Amino acid sequence: MVDRKEIEHLGDLVKVELQDPEKYIHQVDQILNYFNNLDKVEYDSDKTLRKEIPYESLREDKHEPFMTDGMSLISKLKRDQNSFVRAPKMI
Amino acid sequence: MNLGISATEYVSQIRNGQISAEEFIAKTLDRIRTVEGKVHAYITIDEQNALNQARIIDKKIKAKERIGALFGMPISIKDNICTSGIRTTCASKMLENFIAPYDATVVSRLKQDDAIIIGKVNLDEFAMGSTTEFSCFGPSRNPWNVEYVPGGSSGGSGVSVSALECVASLGSDTGGSVRSPASFCSVVGLKPTYGLVSRYGLVSYANSIEQIGPVARKVEDIALIMNTISGHDSHDDTTVEKGRVDYLQDLNAGVKGKKIGLVSQMTGDGVDKEVSSATNAAVSKFQDLEAECIPISLDSVEHSVAAYYTIASAEASSNLSRYDNLRYGFDLGTEGYEFKAYVSKVRSNFGPEVTRRMLLGAFVLSAGYYGKYYLKAQKVRAMMKSQIDDAFKKVDFLVAPTMPILPFKIGEKIDDPLTLYLLDANTIMANLTGIPAISVPFAISSSGLPIGIQIFANSFQDKNLLQAAYALQQTTHLPEVPV
Repeated sequence: MVDRKEIEHLGDLVKVELQDPEKYIHQVDQILNYFNNLDKVEYDSDKTLRKEIPYESLREDKHEPFMTDGMSLISKLKRDQNSFVRAPKMI
Repeated sequence: MNLGISATEYVSQIRNGQISAEEFIAKTLDRIRTVEGKVHAYITIDEQNALNQARIIDKKIKAKERIGALFGMPISIKDNICTSGIRTTCASKMLENFIAPYDATVVSRLKQDDAIIIGKVNLDEFAMGSTTEFSCFGPSRNPWNVEYVPGGSSGGSGVSVSALECVASLGSDTGGSVRSPASFCSVVGLKPTYGLVSRYGLVSYANSIEQIGPVARKVEDIALIMNTISGHDSHDDTTVEKGRVDYLQDLNAGVKGKKIGLVSQMTGDGVDKEVSSATNAAVSKFQDLEAECIPISLDSVEHSVAAYYTIASAEASSNLSRYDNLRYGFDLGTEGYEFKAYVSKVRSNFGPEVTRRMLLGAFVLSAGYYGKYYLKAQKVRAMMKSQIDDAFKKVDFLVAPTMPILPFKIGEKIDDPLTLYLLDANTIMANLTGIPAISVPFAISSSGLPIGIQIFANSFQDKNLLQAAYALQQTTHLPEVPV
């Protein structure tokens, strides 16, 4: 059973100030109860969809500047000096 | 001028000089002005640019210059696919004024083929929903009855195509988001094989299951659009190099001698009576076309909704953590906030469904529950893939209703998220296993609402899938959209 404390903790984890935590308690609880159906599945193996890819088949890891309309993407952003991107002042 | 022509008819009429691109765009914009108040498909309409582009294309035609395969065709784009210079909102307050600095690969490919991006269309916020009611701009409405939902999350794509506000549209399909509105709005919608169409420039929701897919009025139009948008993209390493495929070629190959499996778990309890009889009628049509139809049981389907929403919520929760209003977002001063309080404050602008999925995602990924939910969901996914592989050793295609029920009234189910999740029961198999699936309009219910039939094929058999869909389409004669 999910309670208010748990919903508020989840809100904290996902960094959302929940305006009305009560609204989510019943809904999240109901959905998680439905997810419990996964317990009923009889698994015939431990397999998941994990794929192994040989190292040789991976592309070469080299730097390619990304260009759009003849300009590098970074140069389209609001910039400060050099290669710093301006973000809102926080403190 | 008939705005209801198919994409292939549009191309042939413009090549013959029967219509001009400018006339067609102008008429389409008139149509948008007339019906938008009723159906609300668009978030942004790029009117002036569309007209300018049409004039450029007409000039090229006159000068007998090389023209791309789409000849100035008006196409709408779901508003979670990036378009340079036109805002991409994801129907969220968090991105209300976001303008991407580049085009998604699918958009640049459409432009290279001389399509005209006429506007950006509505969706459930960040593509999370099945009805388009969770858009911060308000719901889209079903052109077959404006009191009813159009399906979702690509509701704007389904509505804009169905209401003749464009010739075709691009949507994204994470759990049925292209096929659901296609079915509810009586148009065709394809979720291609995972890796066939680039997702570069699609705003991420659940990367391991989502695909961009076309919506159009005819199967041949889907083939035409696939010729443009499919293929390997160096910006998306999940795309696969398969060489050039012409989806239009041999489209009328038919289904004679093919084996078709009707998925038992998608046609039983909980399926509306009229949807059920339409599905049986579709199977009869396939038999008339000399295909062999057999029932197929896929028992993992019964657990697919739980597995899908566990995986999708986990991926959503992770993807949406990037929206902190620093790199992009809306204008809210930082004065008086410490860092975490600022981020939590701005993120309270996510709507209820997105918030719900982030909470669920955080829960199923948390240390104590990872094995109970996420790992088991991944095992169900593997089991489903193995059952699908076995099924396609026996049959060429699988068939089921796209949506288990008819479209319903706006607001009717909005406070019951689990019921809404269960509506995806028939569509999510294709996303969890990566196989292609298409919804073809097949019937209209006694209440005047559309019913779509879904066909699945094995991975990278998209061309064969379109052939089967075309064969089914040719057996139908459906009324025109009433709006």
